[in-house]
Amino acid sequence: MTNVSFDNFLINFGFGSKAEKQEILKANPEKHVIMDLTCYDPQEFYDEYPQLKGTFAALFCDENKKIELHCLKHEPEVIAKFKELGYSPIETTIVSCGFVFPRTIVQIINEAHFALEDDVASKEDINRAMKFGVNYPKGPFEWSEGKELYVKTLLNELLQKTGDKRYVPSKLIK
Amino acid sequence: MNISKVIVIGAGTMGSGIAQWFTQQNCKVELVDNSQAQMEKALKDIHSSWDKLAEKGKLSNVDELKKNIKISPMDQLSKDADLVVEAIIENLEIKKELFKKLDAYFESHTILSSNTSSFPIALMAEAVSDKRKPQFLGLHFFNPATIMKLVEVIKGKDSSEKICRDLYSWFDSKDKKPALCKDSPGFIVNRVARNFYGEPLRIVNEEDETKIKEVDNILKEVGGFKMGPFELMDLIGIDVNYSVTCSVWEAYDKEPRFAPHKLQKQMVDEKRFGRKAKRGFYKYD
Repeated sequence: MTNVSFDNFLINFGFGSKAEKQEILKANPEKHVIMDLTCYDPQEFYDEYPQLKGTFAALFCDENKKIELHCLKHEPEVIAKFKELGYSPIETTIVSCGFVFPRTIVQIINEAHFALEDDVASKEDINRAMKFGVNYPKGPFEWSEGKELYVKTLLNELLQKTGDKRYVPSKLIK
Repeated sequence: MNISKVIVIGAGTMGSGIAQWFTQQNCKVELVDNSQAQMEKALKDIHSSWDKLAEKGKLSNVDELKKNIKISPMDQLSKDADLVVEAIIENLEIKKELFKKLDAYFESHTILSSNTSSFPIALMAEAVSDKRKPQFLGLHFFNPATIMKLVEVIKGKDSSEKICRDLYSWFDSKDKKPALCKDSPGFIVNRVARNFYGEPLRIVNEEDETKIKEVDNILKEVGGFKMGPFELMDLIGIDVNYSVTCSVWEAYDKEPRFAPHKLQKQMVDEKRFGRKAKRGFYKYD
């Protein structure tokens, strides 16, 4: 994880464990913290840590550098800093475990893994089907490449938060 | 594999699109439908589409293409076709009855296929003779068939592995992107895509136009999708999407990953089917 400090703000990038995220907040009680919480429920953190002023989701951020950003109040300096760092923040008012795009995409990735588990098709054919049958910008396995640990973390977090078995991860997500 | 003569059965949107695409691959195509008016309309639309492409300079062999497609009554179809693609109404009994007739009518080398999106290939294959079963499979095209690149090549229980692979290679050599898949509910796309709708529905959870717009916007802006899930459900038809969701859910023994959301049922009950009803997740007055 990396931190970027400016004025009284601290932006925390990266996808550490919940405990690691909490440690950063505890170590910075006087700062206004903006934190990547892609794999967790932002509300849980807002409730516990008043120094947390905003959250964002950069796990699936690609070359377009667009990220979902939620701030408790409009923070022009934060937006300017993200832009300076090369990101294009898309502000949201929705506070949801896994935000909007990561939460949707991990479920698509999970189903693609279940289909692979069931031997429905190869990874390549599943990627191809989703790109050329419904115009997805990437195939599910292209999205999850190198990120499976975090995909599984978010699915488990959703499972724990909701108790809904729809979030049980495929055993092929390791 | 040589595919030079193709029969397309059903002259609706999918059937006529499939017929047009095969003709554009220099195949000789016969398009058949129960309704003479429907066949004539489909042929007129296909010709008109080629004329427009020619006007734009995107097509040069219109006259040749027009010669290579014809509409035909069922009892006058060429018995020596290489491939038959069925694209009729999604009714299992009607399809089975049709395949029984087709099996008896066509020569032994003809491959019979279904463009079904919802029925197991194995169930339809019950209608054909044991001799034909290796040459029976699914070919699931996507709408519009002349533009969407994907064809799911679905291998049924008794489909020949070689025929499926040869067809895969044949489509691959044309301007299609085939995907080989097992005969299982929803095949690839209608299974994996379910959560593109199901998860956003759970994120908004109730009718809230601001949230719905925001979710659509994020998935387009951040995710790079061409349409947001709510816009897309409105376009497809909320009733159609709900029906596919229920069908996949039932087929997987009510597996929670495929469970429909209460909002879908509520909107169907209220006849808010999307664009076609001018009311869906958005209003279209």
